[in-house]
Amino acid sequence: MLNTQVAEIPAAQSEEFAIERVRRGDRDAFRVLVDQHARALFRLAYRMTGNEIDAEDMVQETFLKAWKQIAKFDGRASFGTWLHRICTNCTLDHLRTRQRRQETQPAVHAAKEDQSDPLSQIAGESPSPERLALSGQVSAILSATLADLTVMERTAFILRHYEGMGIESISNVLGVQPGAAKHSVFRAVQKLRQALEPVAGK
Amino acid sequence: MNTQPIHLTEEDLVLLYYREPGLPGGAREHLRTCGTCSAAAESLAKTLNACDEWTVPEPPVDFSRGIWAGVAPRLEPRARRSWLLPARWLVPAFCALLLAAFLIGRVSKKPEPALAAGLSDQARQRIMAITLADHLDRAELLLTEISNATDTAPDFSSARYRAQDLVGEGRLILQTISAETGETATTSLLDEVERFMLEVANSPDRVTPEELQTLQRRMNSGSLLFKVRIIQSNFRTEGQKS
Repeated sequence: MLNTQVAEIPAAQSEEFAIERVRRGDRDAFRVLVDQHARALFRLAYRMTGNEIDAEDMVQETFLKAWKQIAKFDGRASFGTWLHRICTNCTLDHLRTRQRRQETQPAVHAAKEDQSDPLSQIAGESPSPERLALSGQVSAILSATLADLTVMERTAFILRHYEGMGIESISNVLGVQPGAAKHSVFRAVQKLRQALEPVAGK
Repeated sequence: MNTQPIHLTEEDLVLLYYREPGLPGGAREHLRTCGTCSAAAESLAKTLNACDEWTVPEPPVDFSRGIWAGVAPRLEPRARRSWLLPARWLVPAFCALLLAAFLIGRVSKKPEPALAAGLSDQARQRIMAITLADHLDRAELLLTEISNATDTAPDFSSARYRAQDLVGEGRLILQTISAETGETATTSLLDEVERFMLEVANSPDRVTPEELQTLQRRMNSGSLLFKVRIIQSNFRTEGQKS
């Protein structure tokens, strides 16, 4: 019903229309927004958590929070950006909890880390054997290095490199000063560079 | 004289790669003419480009349907406006009512109003002790949460609302006690709690780690939480005794 109404108006306006209806408690309108943004949020959450199950949970949590907090959405940023911020914060909380749990159970952490290797499931885009070999090597090193980054460094790097977010926006999402966000990106790049340069940087 | 050129730092190269502002003046021109820096920039670019090898598995076509299936049953219905007070206001409202009755009793001595006449001194003291204990209990809860918050951008919106409530409620109590007993240890504590709560109420929704640490330091320097706990516990015991 709502999808039919929404299809008749331009995309940007249809999102505004849906948001307005969500503010009034319209669940069908909310479903339209879920359909529009779920996949992009999954990519972000997957990169931060490193596994599909956690990423899916984080997407669900994001939409639940968005439903509760829709009154706070003031339209200054796009709705997608607002959702990305919520998703980043949900995932950060999740990662911190996971980190605390792992710190208390180091042996279990080591075993599980291998299973949830964010890059172990990833294949290179090109089928050529050389590319696959290099990609596999890069992936393995990336995996180990990203796992060693602090939650802040990892998140800042992912937002900068994969989400194309500027330092200013990253600092807003992380709730830190722009200088701190910038240094988190620098530190992440520095560590990745040290690790990857032997195979990728020369 | 040694005229060694000043090269771009690794941080400058990262800013250049991501087209971020904040580069030193003339950085781009320097990069065009300096072999060392352009080689370093190229090497960095290769490393960062290699990170793009990390692709994300494509979720199934009906991914959003699965998400919706998980989300839909957990969506709370939107709250409708109601003339009834929300539950969290019931206790403060009740306390305010009792305090109002107490104040009427104090102000109108002659002729003695029925409500005040019905309250013995002991009953008044008991009401006051319970009201104070409840107020300090809520303040203690919020102070404990702030004290235990981590230093990474906590959501302060709920704390701000609660602090605003506590400021209003605390002022009412403070007025009543001051009229009754003048300056005491309790009134100075209430004053201190109010000043701290005002600071929390005026904080942004998401405080920076530095702002949070400042609040925590302020709280700890005056042992505010400790004092609140002690006095709250004294009034709780007094309220239960009488």
